[in-house]
Parts: sequence; C-alpha cells; structure tokens
Amino acid sequence: MPTPINTDALVIGAGPVGLFQAFQLGLQGIACHMVDALPHVGGQCAELYADKPIYDIPGIPVCTGRELVERLQQQIAPFKPTLHLGQTIETLQATADGRWSVTSQTGTTWITQTVFIAAGVGAFVPRSLPIEGLQPYMGRQVWFGSQELPSFSGQNLLVTGDGDSALQTCLDALGQAASITLMHRREHFSASAERIQAFQTAQDAGQIRFVAGQPTGVDTTADRLTALRYLNTEGEEIALPCDQLVMALGLSPKLGPVAQWGLDMERKQLQVNTETFATSAPGIFAVGDINTYPGKKKLILCGFHEATLAAFGAAAHLWPQDKTLLQYTTTSTTLHKRLGLL
Amino acid sequence: MPPNEFDMTHVVTENCIRCKYTDCVDVCPVDCFREGPNFLTIDPDECIDCAVCIPECPANAIFAEEDLPKDQQHMTALNAELALLPNWKSITKRKAPLPDADDWKDKTGKLAELVR
Repeated sequence: MPTPINTDALVIGAGPVGLFQAFQLGLQGIACHMVDALPHVGGQCAELYADKPIYDIPGIPVCTGRELVERLQQQIAPFKPTLHLGQTIETLQATADGRWSVTSQTGTTWITQTVFIAAGVGAFVPRSLPIEGLQPYMGRQVWFGSQELPSFSGQNLLVTGDGDSALQTCLDALGQAASITLMHRREHFSASAERIQAFQTAQDAGQIRFVAGQPTGVDTTADRLTALRYLNTEGEEIALPCDQLVMALGLSPKLGPVAQWGLDMERKQLQVNTETFATSAPGIFAVGDINTYPGKKKLILCGFHEATLAAFGAAAHLWPQDKTLLQYTTTSTTLHKRLGLL
Repeated sequence: MPPNEFDMTHVVTENCIRCKYTDCVDVCPVDCFREGPNFLTIDPDECIDCAVCIPECPANAIFAEEDLPKDQQHMTALNAELALLPNWKSITKRKAPLPDADDWKDKTGKLAELVR
C-alpha cells in the first residue's frame, strides 16, 4: 500500500468553489491538496457550461464557465495546491489522533487535519449502457469513451453514443480496426460540425457503418463478449457481433459515497453551520452545491463566501489557541508574502 | 438543525406527457425520477434542486418550483402524488422515448392524456 500523504487540508472537488477554497486557505497560510473525479479542474463549469455565459460573478460582467475556471486557476497559482485528478473519494474516517483518513478509489490515502467537501452535485462519472452483463468485460472488451483506449487493430469495433467522443473514437480507429460501427438510437449527432463532416466522409467511403438501435443485452461465450443485442427501428431484436465495445455516452454526476461518511445530512446535502460552514464532524467543512442551510442558494458567488468563512473556520480548528486575525490583501504584508508578492 | 423550511423541488410539467424522452434521468445525481406509463415524475423528497436536468429535456418539461409557468402550478402536488404510487418505479438510465414522442412534444393541455 502506498504511503499516506500528510496534509493540513484536503479539498474534495475542484469546481469553482473548491478552487476558491484553495485560494482562501492559502491566504490563511494553509497548504492544501485537491482531488477531483474529472481529469481536469472546473467541475460543472467545465462539464456542463464551459461555453455558456455567467453574468453574476461580482466584478466580472460576463464570462464563460471555462473563462471563470481559467481566472480562478490564475488566482490560486501562488498557493500551488497539489492536484490529484481522475480520482474519486471512497472513504472518510476519523483517525485515533483526531485527524481524518481519506482514500480514493485508486488507493491514494491522505491523512489530513481538515477536509473541505466541495463536491457539488457529485462526481462526474461515465455513463454506461442500460444493460446487464457488461461488468466482467470492462477493461478487456468493454470501455468508456473517456478512458485511455487500447489499439483496436484487427478488431471489430462497436461504439455507442452521439457526441464528439463517440465520433472521434470511430475516426481514431480508421485504418486499424477490421470494422467500425457506430450505434445510436437515431442518426443525429451532437458533435462539432467538422467532426460530423469527417465522420460522414468515412461513412460515405464505407469505412464506418452507422446502425440505429437501442441496446438490450449482450451475447457471450465462455469468457468472451461476442455481440451486442439491440432493437432496431422496426422493434426487432438483432445481435451485432463485435470484439470491442466503447460506450462514449458522456458523463453524469453521481453523489456517490458522501452519504456513507456519517455526516449529518438533509435531503442528501450536508448540513452546515453558517459561521464556519463546518459539518457535524470537527474539521470537516462543506461548501458550494453540496451543503444546505436555511436560505441556501446554489450560486457560485454564495460558494465563494462559504469558502472564505470555512477557511477562517479551518484556521481556528488548526490553531485553536491563536486568534484568527482579519487581514486585508490591500495592506497586509503577511498576505503579500503568502501571495508571493514580497 | 430544524428541517429547512425553504426546501423547494423541481417539477416535471405536462410537456412530458406522452413523450417521456428520459434524457433527464441520466444526469440526475440522486436518482429522483420515477417512471409512469407515459410520464416521468420527480420525487420531491429526493430532489436536491441541483437543476442539472432542466437543460437536458428536449420537451422543456422541467422547471424549478419557483419558476413554474402559471398554468402548471398544479404539477407540484401531482409530481409528489405520482412519486408515491407503487407502480411508479425509480428510473436511473435513459431509454427510448415513447414511439410517437416527437408528435406529442409541442402539444399543450395534455393532462387528460396522463396514465397513472
């Protein structure tokens, strides 16, 4: 088992509020590690509205989700939070000495004084087909489009989905796979115009086949998946032979194991006090869409406020005998040092 | 802490009736959708008001309770009532819409078509 990482603070979720949490912790002189399920930072801003305009960030009349994330990354850069991307948190347990042991599904363990749950509406995880029997073949014959994929050289490849990742997976296999088939419930793609054009060119050249269908199950022999069964547009069930199946169906958020961590919850959200945004467990704070309190509004700007008070709460938790001073970034030499200006 | 008196929910309106595209269930982080014969409903006790489902619906059927159109106010109570029916089961993965969904998509006043 790898050696646990010791830290003062662990931020779970690298969306806008988690990123700003790292900034506020930095101002308090608290270094942090950050974990996110996605392979990049930004959370919902990156996954759900990267190109949509946001109008209610104070001081920024308009910016897209992606732009907001870029600005937050610049803002937190002086504090150099250690990022752990592509990992979902599984367990959170108290240690005998009053700290927290947190583990991810890939086996990383953090021993931390404080935890900031900024997990939004949950971890973004890849969608799978709504059929049984795929699990035994995952990582051998069945893949998610968001995974690193093997070479499909000489294989009969079947891809399901209608987005950029589905089309690109087909295009990447051109000249390698023995055959390439894309299946979706209808021949309508939600991808960029250039990618659809490239796909159609390959389709017209007979290099890729499109099948309209609704998957219903799989055929298997001994330890191999041999075909995907589907209903065609006439409602007949057909078996489509394949060696490799890629589910490129996008990502969806799942709240996941947060509910099993023994924290007080209300309607699947973490209850916090509004002085420090502490949960029911000492040293664990919850900020952003995952928390609830009277008057809660799920707005990014409210999350920024929550993260600020949570950082003050963390300082008081880490150094109970010290008075946590309010200092201004305009004038404080301590803050200027922390920001790397001096 | 006492129960939050400001709790709201999201509501599926009549636009869903006889369409049932089910795009919404794929994105719900808490699996709060329940499926009837020709309509999906949101269980208000499960919904966490995250609003992720709203833009997914091809029929624009889902609204935050406070944003419900005037002629759909009755759907809040109806969602809660349908969610409790024993034959309305949890649906967590997208499936094919009803065969004539596209024909019914832009029709209004579909409440009489609702099958329980």
